[in-house]
Amino acid sequence: MRKKDIVIAGYAETKIDFKTGRSAYDLAGEALSQLIERTGISLEDIDGLSVTTALSEASNPFFAVYMTEALGITPNWLNYGGIGGCSATGGVARAMSAIRDGMCKVAVVMSADAPSTDWRSNYGAYRPEFQDPPGVQGPPATFGLLMSRYVHQYGLNPQALGKIAVTQRAHALHNENAYAKFQKPLTMDDYMQSRVISDPLRVLDSVMFCDGANAFLVTTAEHAKTLGIDKVVYPVAYSEVTNFNGREPLADITQSGFTKIGPEVLKKAGMAPKDVRMFQPYDDFTIAVMMKFEAFGFCERGQGSAFTMDTDLSHTGSLPLNTGGGQISAGQPGLASGGLNLAEAVRQMFGEGGARQVKDPRNALVTGIGVIPYGRNWGVSSAMILEA
Amino acid sequence: MSQTNPTPPAPVARPVPRIGNYVDSKPFWDGIAAGKLVLQYCTEAKRFQHYPKPVSGYTGRRTLVWRETSGKGVIYACTVVRIPGPGLEGRLPLCVATVELDEGVRIIANVLNCSPEQMAIGKRVKLAWDQLTPEQRYPAFELV
Repeated sequence: MRKKDIVIAGYAETKIDFKTGRSAYDLAGEALSQLIERTGISLEDIDGLSVTTALSEASNPFFAVYMTEALGITPNWLNYGGIGGCSATGGVARAMSAIRDGMCKVAVVMSADAPSTDWRSNYGAYRPEFQDPPGVQGPPATFGLLMSRYVHQYGLNPQALGKIAVTQRAHALHNENAYAKFQKPLTMDDYMQSRVISDPLRVLDSVMFCDGANAFLVTTAEHAKTLGIDKVVYPVAYSEVTNFNGREPLADITQSGFTKIGPEVLKKAGMAPKDVRMFQPYDDFTIAVMMKFEAFGFCERGQGSAFTMDTDLSHTGSLPLNTGGGQISAGQPGLASGGLNLAEAVRQMFGEGGARQVKDPRNALVTGIGVIPYGRNWGVSSAMILEA
Repeated sequence: MSQTNPTPPAPVARPVPRIGNYVDSKPFWDGIAAGKLVLQYCTEAKRFQHYPKPVSGYTGRRTLVWRETSGKGVIYACTVVRIPGPGLEGRLPLCVATVELDEGVRIIANVLNCSPEQMAIGKRVKLAWDQLTPEQRYPAFELV
């Protein structure tokens, strides 16, 4: 049911950088400091904390508890978010439930990770016996498999994926937090000539692990006023699904969790695809963005290429796409990545988009993706709709 | 066929995984030793599942046995890994496929003796053997 009682009352984001030599705690400290300065709250106001599992800290089962010490927060509600790139939107949604349930009043949703400095994760499970031997160790191989199937079923215009990459890069040029190496223009020729790393996936379809952090302040609309905060956005709808089609070994892998939750989240918000003012989708690979155009109903299934080519996706266009450059052109701060797309949505809706500001930023659709499972698409799908 | 093989045998030994790290997978490895592809099968749903799991994905219970498959199937999805990574030394470009076995279950595997140009969805494949080390083989496929 649609409610407008809880708000995101502030956001913070560090610069994205490669091999910073810093820890997730230190990056989180920078994000918290920025959040306090922007919102004017004091440390004692914060009684809830959601911490996103970090690749750089995954070997510490008490990362979230250590984080409370690092940040000087004494929460009555502590959530440790282990759904990868869905942990930011999912953390906000869980914080909303906790606030509605009286467990806390002001929650910080913190995502910080530094995998390019220190990778301390081991996915384990079935992978060493059944996935690593054929050489499917990284996400590119799985996404190559996924793309091949998409091409087989629907056909794919490589220039459509190129347009996504080029459009997002143009946006990143206006994003002072984007990784400096990506702060140069990209042409369609650059894209088409970029190296194929796992057929038909190109290097410019893909993200690169970096370091960074982001944070969000979640409280009731009423309490935000008491705290003197006037810039807020309302998360009016959220949907999430994990292990979609997980019981069906012959599932069509071009159907993702968004096939289910896309229409569902729009319905919860009382919106149709045409009502979406801007789209800030989780973009680990360009094909995921295109598959989401279809899953949310921006176009028919299999029509992603044509829709991409026919739609102005720039910040001045009809459907502004990842207006901060997305992860592909701003850099992927490990598992803090889910907050990157969310931070850009909140920034735009606060009217702080600068040279890339979307006009009339009345709402935004944000998504998350978590985990690349065995021979499918992705493990967790999340979608959140924000309204002014 | 060797002149058309762009994926030469690995010059270095690849890691041999610890068996049964996730669930008891001994029948899978015993099957390999016997030259068979043996996968988990749910006796209630009468369907296979792969990779092996602690319960049947169909019933949520341990209604599971291990059963030999035909080793025959069709390429459902395919890619060619072209960038280096752990265990990939000397193996690039590496043909990888999601093979849909005739028994109705999918398995990720290498397609041996196959050039990247020959890889295509819909092509029939049959069981073949890759070598992790001279002593340890691992199931793969080749074009029929």
